[in-house]
Parts: sequence; C-alpha cells; structure tokens
Amino acid sequence: MQLLQQIINGVTIGSFYALVALGYTMVYGVLKLINFAHGDLFMWGAYLGLTGVSLLAGLAGAGQPWMAVPVITGVLALIALTGVLVERVAYRPLRAAGRLAPIISALGVAFILESIARNVYGARWRTYPTGVAPAGGFVLAGSVRISTMQIAVLVISFLLMAGLYLFVQRTRVGTAMRAVSLDHTVSRLMGIDVDRIIALVFVIGPGLGGIAGVVVALYYGSFDFTLGWSFGLKAFIAAILGGIGNIPGAMLGGMFLGLVETLASGYISPQWKDVIAYVILIIILIFRPTGILGERVAAKV
Amino acid sequence: MFKRIVVPIILLGCLLINLTGCGGAKDTIKIGLQGPMTGDYAYEGKGFQNALNMLVEQVNAAGGINGKQVELIVEDDAGDPTQSALVAQRLVDAKVVAVIGAYNSTATEPASEIYNEAGILHVTPSSTAVRLTTKGFPRFFRVCFLDDRQGLFAAKFMQEVLGAKNVGILHDNSTYAQGLAEETKHYAETLGLTVGFYDAINPDDQDFTPILTKIGAANLDAVYFTGYHSQAGLLLKQSAELGLTVKWVGGNAANNPVMVEIAGIKNAEGVFVTTEPLPKDLNYPEAQKFVADYKAKYGEEPDSVWTIMAGEAFNVIRIAMEQTKSTDPATLAEYLHTQMKNVNGLTGPILGFDEKGDRLGTIHVAYVIDATGNFVLYEKQPSP
Repeated sequence: MQLLQQIINGVTIGSFYALVALGYTMVYGVLKLINFAHGDLFMWGAYLGLTGVSLLAGLAGAGQPWMAVPVITGVLALIALTGVLVERVAYRPLRAAGRLAPIISALGVAFILESIARNVYGARWRTYPTGVAPAGGFVLAGSVRISTMQIAVLVISFLLMAGLYLFVQRTRVGTAMRAVSLDHTVSRLMGIDVDRIIALVFVIGPGLGGIAGVVVALYYGSFDFTLGWSFGLKAFIAAILGGIGNIPGAMLGGMFLGLVETLASGYISPQWKDVIAYVILIIILIFRPTGILGERVAAKV
Repeated sequence: MFKRIVVPIILLGCLLINLTGCGGAKDTIKIGLQGPMTGDYAYEGKGFQNALNMLVEQVNAAGGINGKQVELIVEDDAGDPTQSALVAQRLVDAKVVAVIGAYNSTATEPASEIYNEAGILHVTPSSTAVRLTTKGFPRFFRVCFLDDRQGLFAAKFMQEVLGAKNVGILHDNSTYAQGLAEETKHYAETLGLTVGFYDAINPDDQDFTPILTKIGAANLDAVYFTGYHSQAGLLLKQSAELGLTVKWVGGNAANNPVMVEIAGIKNAEGVFVTTEPLPKDLNYPEAQKFVADYKAKYGEEPDSVWTIMAGEAFNVIRIAMEQTKSTDPATLAEYLHTQMKNVNGLTGPILGFDEKGDRLGTIHVAYVIDATGNFVLYEKQPSP
C-alpha cells in the first residue's frame, strides 16, 4: 500500500524533473552548451504564471481551473521570447569562444534572472490564488490516493514529451535539428539555416520550462525565488543521468531520480536521500559515462 | 623637507580619524540590528526593522538615552550562517555598543562568537536553541524563552490536551528545529509518551509527500513539527492532499500567517502551534501600546511575536543604559545579570536573567487555527 503511494509520489516529482530536463538536453544537443539559465527561466515561468493567474482571478473574482489554459499559453510565449533573447545576447556572440566562456555567460544569466525575480516579486514565499489548480482526487485502494492535479501533471508531461519526441523524429525541421546537433558546418553546407534552428531550440526548450514552471507552482501552490535553483539542479542531473542530448533519456533520468529520491525518503530518511540518489548516480556514470541512453561519442581531440 | 613629508601625513591622519567615525560618533549611541532582510525569513527581518525603527524614533523624539541620540545600523544576514559572520564583523567595525539579532539560531551562533570576542552586548530576540547560552559568553542575552521549556510544553500539550499516546516529531536539521525536537523527544519520553516517529526533512525541498506517506502509515496520534513556517505550510497542504488524519502541532517558528497562506485555510484549520502569545494577545499595557503605535505607523498590527520580541530586546538595552547611566557593555551586562528584576517589559514582566543570559520564566501557550485561518488562543491549555 505504502509502496504504491510512494510510486505515485515519485512519478509526480520525476515528471517535473523530466520536463525541466528536456530544456537542458535540447540546448546541449545542438550547442553542446549547458544552459544554466534554464532553471531560472523555469522559475520565471512560475512567477509570470502567478501574475497572470492573479490578474485573471482578480477580474473574475475567484480562481477558476480554465484560467490555467490562457496563463500557460501566455507564459509559454513570454518565456520562449526570453529564451531567444538570452541566446541572441549572451550565447551567440560567444559561440566561437570555446566551451568555458558560454558556460560562465550562462551562469551570469542565471544570477541575473534570479536577482531580477527577487527584486520584482520579493524574497518571501508567493502563493497562487486558490481554485485554479483542480481540487479533489481519487482513492485507488485503502489509503492510496491520486489527486486530480497529479493526474493533470502526468497527462501534461506525457503529452509534451511525446509531442516533442515526434516533432524531433518525424518532421523536416526535427530532422534539421538532429543534423545541426551532429555538425554545424556540414548542416550549413546542406542548406540548413543553423542560426534559425538554434533559435527554434531556444523557443522550445525555455518554452517547455515556462510551462513546467506554471505547472509546478500550481501543483505546490507556493514557491520562492530559489525554485529555479533547486529544481534546475536536479533536472540537470536527471538530464546527465539519462544521457544529455537525448530526449527519451531526459524523461527516463527524471523519472529515475524522482523515484529513487522518493523511495529513499520514504523508506530510509529524507536526510539520506541525496546520499543514496547520488551514490547510485555515480555508479551509473562509472559504468555508462554518457548516461543511461547516451550515445557513445568518439572523443574529439 | 620635514614639512613636505610630515604635514601631509598629519593631515591624512586627521582625515582617517574622521572617516573612521571618531569625529561623528561621539554624540550618538550606535546600536546594531542583524537580521534576515532577504531570504526565507525576510518577513521576520522586516518586522525586526519596523519595530526598532519605531522605538528608536520614539526614544530619540523624547530626548534619546541619557541625553544621547540613538543610531540604528541595520545589517542583512539573510538567515545564513556564513553571511551572519560577515555582517557581525561589519557591525563590530562600525563600533556599535550593542547588537540585536539574529533571527534564527543558525545565524545567531556564529555571530555570537564574534560579538563575544569584540566584547559587545548581544541580545537575541528570537533564537531559542538551548546551546547558544551554554558557551559562557558573559555579554550574550536572550529575551525569548528556551527551547527546552517549549519542548516540555509541547509534550504536555499533546499528552494532556490532545490525549495522544504515540507521537511523531519532525524537524528540518536547522540548529533551532533540531534542538527543539531533541528536547521535546526527551520530555515526551519522560512523560511516558511513545515517540513512534522521529526524523528530519530537507528544508530546500518543495515536495514532502514521501515522508508524509511514511507518517501516514505510522499510526501516530499527533505530529510535532519544529521547523519554519514555509515548510510547515507545504507539509500541511500535502498532508491534507494525501488524506492524513493525524493531528499537527507546530513549534513557534511555524507561528506565522504565511504558514496558513501557503497551506490554504481549509488545510490549516484545526492545526495547533505552541508559542509565545501573539502581540495582540499580550494583556499588558506596554504590549498594547506597542501594538497600537505599530498599527498607527505601519497601517497593520505586528503579526509575529518576534516583532515585539525585537522591541523587547531594544527595551532591555535601553533600560540597562538608563539605569547604569552607561554604554559600556561590561557595565550593562553586569546590570542585566544581577540587578534587573521584575521590570515591566513589552512582553510581560521581565523577572530577570540567569547567569547564562537566559530570561527567567515562560510564557508558552497553544494556539489553534480557526475556520477563517486566524490563530486563536486554544480554550484548553495543559497544566502549568
């Protein structure tokens, strides 16, 4: 009984990690850049969602579940725009500058985004208006429960991940994206507009992060400006664990990390969960340095 | 030659003396405030600052302390032990004679070492970890009451008022919460209760469903959470969503309306907290005046007991300075240790301070959250 409940808990946390991990993985796939600003774009999704939901709830007098739809759409657009802007201003000028400079630039963007959020929205915990996140739930067996919001989280995550996977595997643009991830120069020779593909990656990755921000904030109801750092770091680890650059790998890594953490917290202690989770992570990376689903890449000299 | 070298040096020396404050400081009494102006506890830090700004303004308008104006120097430690040590050093360098702060025990601990070395009077309004006053620092005091007394109160409350037999205790690994959890466990076992669950959460987490599922399976009558209000709010929300029926009791760090905001009113209703009384429930003329003045100045009543406790810390320092006609930290500390007895404070009578610097007595009570989300004094309290 307890085990089933813990699996539900773990899959919920895991799908958050997986959604955020997709953003890291996509950017790494085409640019070989770890976009440390991604966690903070995700956090900005939560804050912009707060503004949107508060505005609508203020106009309507109370929070309603339908408000999530226009808010998520609006946040998706705004965070995607921010993502493209970040790429243009902070990453594109450094594309020829080796590996280290863009990473530092990404860290800089992360700190800038976090500080702006703290200054604009304040350091205290912020709470979404009630009524937007669907209430209620179902008793599966005995004391095992799943809430409507958890079902919504799982459905949204699954649809986004499946949609992204099909887009990358089955469309012409997706094929171009995969080509760019293999080699920029050759892709350009084949007539692919590399800059546009990279811009598109910065629409999709941060856009998904923005959606995840709203969904996470709706699910937990409240958060503060450190949200991006705590979830971002875990999601980054999930992306590495699954095999960075690999979309199904990000999903698998997220679910795996969520489940291991939950079972370690529930059956041993939350104080030991990070120790257990990272020991397992290190063991996996020793045997599969490129992650669970990562491809073997010949070392570039 | 002589003039060309020595005169500029003398001039430079004068300039430096003025810059370091020898010139400007002689007419004011510098008092430091160290607290979390940013971070998780920023709400409390703001309360500290509001209370002290108001009281300093009042004292200065009435002619100051012993004829000297008071200058308040505010430093932000963000509730973080590393930053705490940095800002403590900054206050020492600013030549304050007394410091009020910090908010949480984790931040107070490193700062108290620095103030002790510098020989500065240090009064914390809110850090209740027992071990803070066990280090033999002669000029460290606290105007709040110790964790061990709250631990005893909490254990008695769960046993006598809630009729619990099997209780759980949950902390968050912070200095404060762990201290209170250990004391509560000790007293609960002394009173004959079973402690069927004892564990800690990681306060950086957002999701506590794994540990809550474990609590749900442990057949507990009541759980005492000793951590802070943000995590308490998330715990209550997620506990209700998992359908847990266990009775929740929070420690005094959960005593904050933000907990109810995060949990949602319907999830917080019926939850208890053990704490010092809220400012508005303090039935003393000094407390009522503080609350009324605060409301007049800031447009809202102080919500947190630590706001008035910060005022009390300043009050104690002021009384000591006025009674001894001195700002020498050693004289002030001597007065607080030996002579301050039965003074009417902002938070009730100050019976005195023991040799460790702890305030004598206790004022813990149990509150319950009602259907409108307000903390109200619970009708049943354990025997004294």
